Amino acid sequence: MAEDTFLTDDFVRQLTAVGGVDIVVGLPTFNNRATVGRVLNAIQVGLAKYFPRERSVLINPDGGSTDGTPELVRTTTVEHYETLLAASPLRTFQRVSTVYPIGHGSGLAWRTILAAADLLGAKACISLSPDLESITPEWVDALVRPIYKEKFDFVAPIYRRHKFDGLLIKNVLWPLIRATYGSDIREPTATEVGLSGRLASHLAAQDVWRQTDTSQEGLRLWMTTLALVGNYRVCQAFLGPKTLGRNTARHDIVATVRQAVGELLRCLEAHEAFWMNRSGSQPTPVFGFQYGVAVEPVRINRARLLQTFRTGAAELASVLQSILTPTTLQQIQQVAALDDREFRFPDDLWVKTIYEFAASYHHSVINRDHLLQALVPLYQGRVASFVLQHYRAGAEEVEQHLEALSRRFEELKAYLVEGWTAKK
Amino acid sequence: MPDARTQPDDDPLWYKDAVFYEVHVRAFYDSNADGIGDFRGLTQKLDYLEELGVDTIWLLPFYPSPLRDDGYDVADYTDVHPNYGTLEDLKVFLEEAHRRRMRVVTELVVNHTSDQHPWFQEARKSRDNPKRNWYVWSDTDDRYREARIIFTDTELSNWAWDPISKQYYWHRFFSHQPDLNFDNPEVVEEVWKIMKYWRELGVDGFRVDAVPYLVEREGTNCENLPETHQIIKFLRRRLDEAFGSNFLLAEANQWPADVRAYFGDGDEFHMAFHFPLMPRMFMAVRLEDRKPIIDILRRTPDIPPTCQWGIFLRNHDELTLEMVSDEERDYMYDEYALDRAARLNLGIRRRLAPLVDNDRRRIELMNSLLLSLPGSPIIYYGDEIGMGDNIYLGDRNGVRTPMQWNGGWNAGFSQADPERLYLPLIANPVYGYQRINVESQLRSAHSLLAWMKRIIRVRKSTRVFGRGSIEFLHPANHRALAYVREYQGETVLVVNNLSSSAHPVELDLRRWRGMVPIEMFGGNLFPRIGEAPYPITLGPYQYYWFRLRRL
Repeated sequence: MAEDTFLTDDFVRQLTAVGGVDIVVGLPTFNNRATVGRVLNAIQVGLAKYFPRERSVLINPDGGSTDGTPELVRTTTVEHYETLLAASPLRTFQRVSTVYPIGHGSGLAWRTILAAADLLGAKACISLSPDLESITPEWVDALVRPIYKEKFDFVAPIYRRHKFDGLLIKNVLWPLIRATYGSDIREPTATEVGLSGRLASHLAAQDVWRQTDTSQEGLRLWMTTLALVGNYRVCQAFLGPKTLGRNTARHDIVATVRQAVGELLRCLEAHEAFWMNRSGSQPTPVFGFQYGVAVEPVRINRARLLQTFRTGAAELASVLQSILTPTTLQQIQQVAALDDREFRFPDDLWVKTIYEFAASYHHSVINRDHLLQALVPLYQGRVASFVLQHYRAGAEEVEQHLEALSRRFEELKAYLVEGWTAKK
Repeated sequence: MPDARTQPDDDPLWYKDAVFYEVHVRAFYDSNADGIGDFRGLTQKLDYLEELGVDTIWLLPFYPSPLRDDGYDVADYTDVHPNYGTLEDLKVFLEEAHRRRMRVVTELVVNHTSDQHPWFQEARKSRDNPKRNWYVWSDTDDRYREARIIFTDTELSNWAWDPISKQYYWHRFFSHQPDLNFDNPEVVEEVWKIMKYWRELGVDGFRVDAVPYLVEREGTNCENLPETHQIIKFLRRRLDEAFGSNFLLAEANQWPADVRAYFGDGDEFHMAFHFPLMPRMFMAVRLEDRKPIIDILRRTPDIPPTCQWGIFLRNHDELTLEMVSDEERDYMYDEYALDRAARLNLGIRRRLAPLVDNDRRRIELMNSLLLSLPGSPIIYYGDEIGMGDNIYLGDRNGVRTPMQWNGGWNAGFSQADPERLYLPLIANPVYGYQRINVESQLRSAHSLLAWMKRIIRVRKSTRVFGRGSIEFLHPANHRALAYVREYQGETVLVVNNLSSSAHPVELDLRRWRGMVPIEMFGGNLFPRIGEAPYPITLGPYQYYWFRLRRL
């Protein structure tokens, strides 16, 4: 019965007062007082500038902030639209806030946003991070317009990233999704997404919300893949650089790999029928002018990565033995033995490693959580190699390499299928 | 002879409680079958207006004129255009109106004259003519460049070349309407004589046309100048000295903060139109959001206690969109004037009913707003029966067609041949006179006309609407526009649903806890107000007026 009443009476009362809307903007928060004001201003100006006639509402599920974040969300108002090159909005900017109990995970926040979009009959629902430093009003336009005007169902962002930023996405998630689902989604785990009302309703009706341990990355990946398999029209929108507030908690690499890769592998299992016989990939339409801009460099401690990789490859040998083929394991150990200056984790070896982990995950050769943890040092080795290889490379050269890597993921897909379908 | 009903009451603040009715003599009733309405006809229809509940009749210009701007191009300030009868007819009309306790307000169009006015004809004869300085002349058309052009659809400049005296003359409106020179004391004195003349004849007050433009100064936009206020103060003082109770209504299509100056310290105008509120009422209903109305009323400064706003939904001009932002204007055009023929200058030339798609619920809601928001309401003739328009008649003629009295010959307006009518009747199947007319609506207790009489009666049952304070409530549901009006111990709660669908609304009425809302149209009691939010369910475009009483 609790499942039927996950929306509080107060939240429902607030929704009742809002009535039907065109656009829902979801802004999940937790102690974001330092940055949320800027995000709110960008949202209000973005709506006034690009969607002045649409009925819009901000949905703010808060995880129990103690720094006054919800109060700030309720009260932040743009005073002088003219100076921000926007006209004063025609309509009331409505806000609905609700606090969900700590410990319920981010799933409840997302579910709340999607339920609101569903109940209010929104045509478009977008989500934004509360700790964005680099957000501009144009982000609202970029995420809403493809849905509102071009009838897309899912808008994934494209950020302008430093060459060493987002390496898990670049080396695992993006190419693996591209090779399996056949779609080129550069940011499959982003918070900044746009959904059509149709897709939001579909997601809100899914059973996944019962899981309380699903991570942010996991949920977002799940939404992305569900859009891909559900015959929804998917596109991407260029947002520019993404800079988070200084106080934003950086995720532990082990947890991130476990959550993001784990969720993607779970999705691959669930959508096996969709991707198994698919080959190649289709480009995904991109909206927005992709301007160049200098981005903040990402500093990576190569020595520590190498050390972790080498230690992991040695200490986890017995675990890796049950996950990887002997050839792959042997090649990894050879890589681990390389001198720092010659260190390279080759693309083909990396692709096979990922595919063998995926197949072993599918066959549950060992505890799945242990399996994912075993991937972490190998991933760190791959990152070290990537950084060494591209230390002096320009962004374009790095892009070319990533494109080549993605193509190798596609070309070697049969290797994944073979391992996935092999009887163990 | 005045009977027992005698003259209107002598409350000097009568205009604060009044319901105004704007009408053009030529459009109301034709008594002599020449196809043009006249004063005798208007007099015959005074019972209709009295029954409607109107207190004050505002007459559009009826003076001798070449009628190139519907009479706003006056050629003689002290007579009646022969089309509309004689000065004697007007006097009878005034007496009959007063006998019914109604007042009459006429137009004072003195920013400019017609170019056919003898003053201008004299002035243009030579540069040294004694009347020359009654107008504004220049050797170049470079002066006052910062003044905007008002009739953007027809005029390219505020200067026009006079080929006779070979100089440019200044005109803020049409080029055939030269502006009078208010820097000339003779002009001001002449205006005073005109006012005195009509007041002595029995006219109760004046609607002063184009007030902001009386004076020009280099380096300014030639609007709202301090010198203009000095002239108004001067004329008001002379009026008060001569006649005691007076009434001056300002036509100043400006932002409320700028219009505020025209009230002075209660020593300029008694009343001024609130132009920016009007489009925002339409905007709020289409947006289904109270924001435009609340925003503009928040930006409306307090006015002296003896002064009043004049509020309206429609009038004889286009629905002006001068006092809105570009985005708001685009929105209004898209929502209310998709047919480009409906657009004129910076506005929309449509009547109330066509603007709201002939939706009775919206017509009622708009009138509920008109009659309950702060100010004195002004009803445009024909809107009380939901008359339509004809946007293809040119200029603003489409909203100035003959009054539709019945479904018979010429809508009962005139016995002339239909071809002689000053403008063709509205005759389409939706708004045509066969369908929309006074007579048929008098036969139905549920007609729009019957409803208009009722709501006017309810408004007049209390002074709270005309004189009371306003406090907006802020229910979470922004489709609800709710406010409390209070005056001398009387409290009225008004709740309007701006939306096309049903909505619940919860009102924070704790300040009035213990009081009982009594619905003012039916007289029914609603549950007593307590500590909890007061819930009301509103149907599409529904409105409630509650008198709050401590029982």
